[in-house]
Amino acid sequence: MSRGPGRRAVIGYLVSSAPYITGALAFVLSPLLLPTYLQSMLTKVLIFSIFAMSLNLLWGYTGLIVFGHAAFFGVAAYTNGILITRYGIESFWLAAPIAILITVLVAAAFGFIALQASGTYFSFITLALGLLVYSAASKWRSMTGGHDGLIGIPLPDLGLPWFTTWNATYFYFFVFLAFAVCFFLLYRLASSPFGYALQGIREDEPRMRSLGYNTWLHKYIAFVIAGLFAGIAGVLYSHLMRAVFLNFVGMLTSFLAVFITVIGGSGVIFGPVVGSIIIIFLEYFSSLYAPERWPLILGIVFVIVMLFLREGVSPYLVRVWKKVIPIWKP
Amino acid sequence: MDLWVLNLLNGISFGMVLFLLAAGLSLTLGVMGILNLAHGSLFMIGAFVGFFVFSGGGSFWVAALLAGAIAGLVGLVLEKAFLGRLHNLFDAQAMLLVGVVYILGNLGLWIFGPQNRLASPPLSLAFSVRIGNYTFPAYRLALILIGTIVFISLWWLLAKTRIGAIIRAGMDDREMTTGLGVNYGLISTAVFSLGAFTAGFAGAIALPMIGVAPSIAWDILLYSFIVVVVGGMGSMLGSLIGSLFIGLVDTFSRALFPDIATFTLYTVLVITLLVKPSGILGRKGILQDMERL
Repeated sequence: MSRGPGRRAVIGYLVSSAPYITGALAFVLSPLLLPTYLQSMLTKVLIFSIFAMSLNLLWGYTGLIVFGHAAFFGVAAYTNGILITRYGIESFWLAAPIAILITVLVAAAFGFIALQASGTYFSFITLALGLLVYSAASKWRSMTGGHDGLIGIPLPDLGLPWFTTWNATYFYFFVFLAFAVCFFLLYRLASSPFGYALQGIREDEPRMRSLGYNTWLHKYIAFVIAGLFAGIAGVLYSHLMRAVFLNFVGMLTSFLAVFITVIGGSGVIFGPVVGSIIIIFLEYFSSLYAPERWPLILGIVFVIVMLFLREGVSPYLVRVWKKVIPIWKP
Repeated sequence: MDLWVLNLLNGISFGMVLFLLAAGLSLTLGVMGILNLAHGSLFMIGAFVGFFVFSGGGSFWVAALLAGAIAGLVGLVLEKAFLGRLHNLFDAQAMLLVGVVYILGNLGLWIFGPQNRLASPPLSLAFSVRIGNYTFPAYRLALILIGTIVFISLWWLLAKTRIGAIIRAGMDDREMTTGLGVNYGLISTAVFSLGAFTAGFAGAIALPMIGVAPSIAWDILLYSFIVVVVGGMGSMLGSLIGSLFIGLVDTFSRALFPDIATFTLYTVLVITLLVKPSGILGRKGILQDMERL
């Protein structure tokens, strides 16, 4: 008797999580069918998904528009690269945590400065701080290699005796694992009381303040957490590219994360993943036919999206999904 | 000693160019509530127009006015065709302008190439003026004169005219001003175009000092933004003081410690934000407006 609703609940749960399962299966199976260079494209998609998801925590959930997010991506990539190539700390379990820790410290400092302001003002201060990191990276040649970049970063040394040879597929799955963990953590964070408080701040900050929330602290913590996840993406990207270049901290990288988040659909947990697939493959096709015109193409796509598709692509995907499969109410 | 006097003059004249930029940015911000992220791109457009008119044999002043007019026209199109469609969606407007910066920057690179182009000062200003023991290039003095004239006319426009009163009222309380029957959309369009005009004009007259390259847009935007933060939003006098201060700080740090000069501006920005976030002479109404955004 009680089996009926229970079974329906299970089916309902399966149907509601079906898009995630389908997505995860697509990510797990597709590299097995793809040539190596497309595998590394897909790895890049996952890394930029992590990067954009970290931005989305601020953008979509908290309503904080950040224009200089590449600062954290770049600081982590540079620190990781410097530790490995200049100091010989090759173990992934040592270099990556230090790199991410330093990124978190930078995010703590930058967040404190930028959150003195709000609105467009805040956005532009993050942009200025991003430019500051760029200037620092280009001037501090002895460490960062300046315009030549930092080359010779190997794939991560995991220190496992039975695992010595990397290939593109293994690295893809390594990144996929990191992505899955980050996705899960950010998903849990977004649906925790803290996450709901952030969404409350996005909707109406004065009201949240009068409800007794310390909104500044909430925004500050969200900023630092976003820095942490951007740092994870940065470390992974330095391993994927086997190098760190100045453009990792450049303005275009910051705005790439912004574009990915907006085109994918901000405020939706999987929005950045959708956006990342679109933007990274767009970049790939642009690099085949017109590499010099990439900023132009990106700019045009973005202006069109802002005019006609402000919610991003994801809400349409959700709508299509709901049309294909009627919603089950357990 | 001579170096100090010369740098003082250079700093003030650079500050005047910054004033032209910051005045437009600050007015647009005050009136429309958005930071015009394409401000540096409008500067670039003006500078390119100015460069080709001037090096094609046109008069420097005609080139500068034409540069301002074309940048103003681009600003008008931008406001009417794009920003107007995103009425009151401040985030979307800012984002759209970022797209525009990339479009214009890459078009500039496509058409004119990556090199920085400098123009020599016009013949009418290619002489030096002796004041006491020092000789000053006339071009620099002319920049200071132009900046002063623009400052006085903008101040007069804002403080003494009916339009200025409407603009100030709108900065303090946009809804109330609209409620009183003012066509604030028209005022917004006019102010945005005026800001674009001054940016383009600044691009052309600064050609002998700054030059023009497609990559210049972000740098110019950064300078103008820092001036607006330091000077305070929506105040002409604040913009002037901020511009002169940043002009002098930048010029002297480049002369005294060239290695770390890049970081001086950021230091000034950070200190201002930590010590006095509203800037030297900011209008309080605008800060509250920014809170709301």
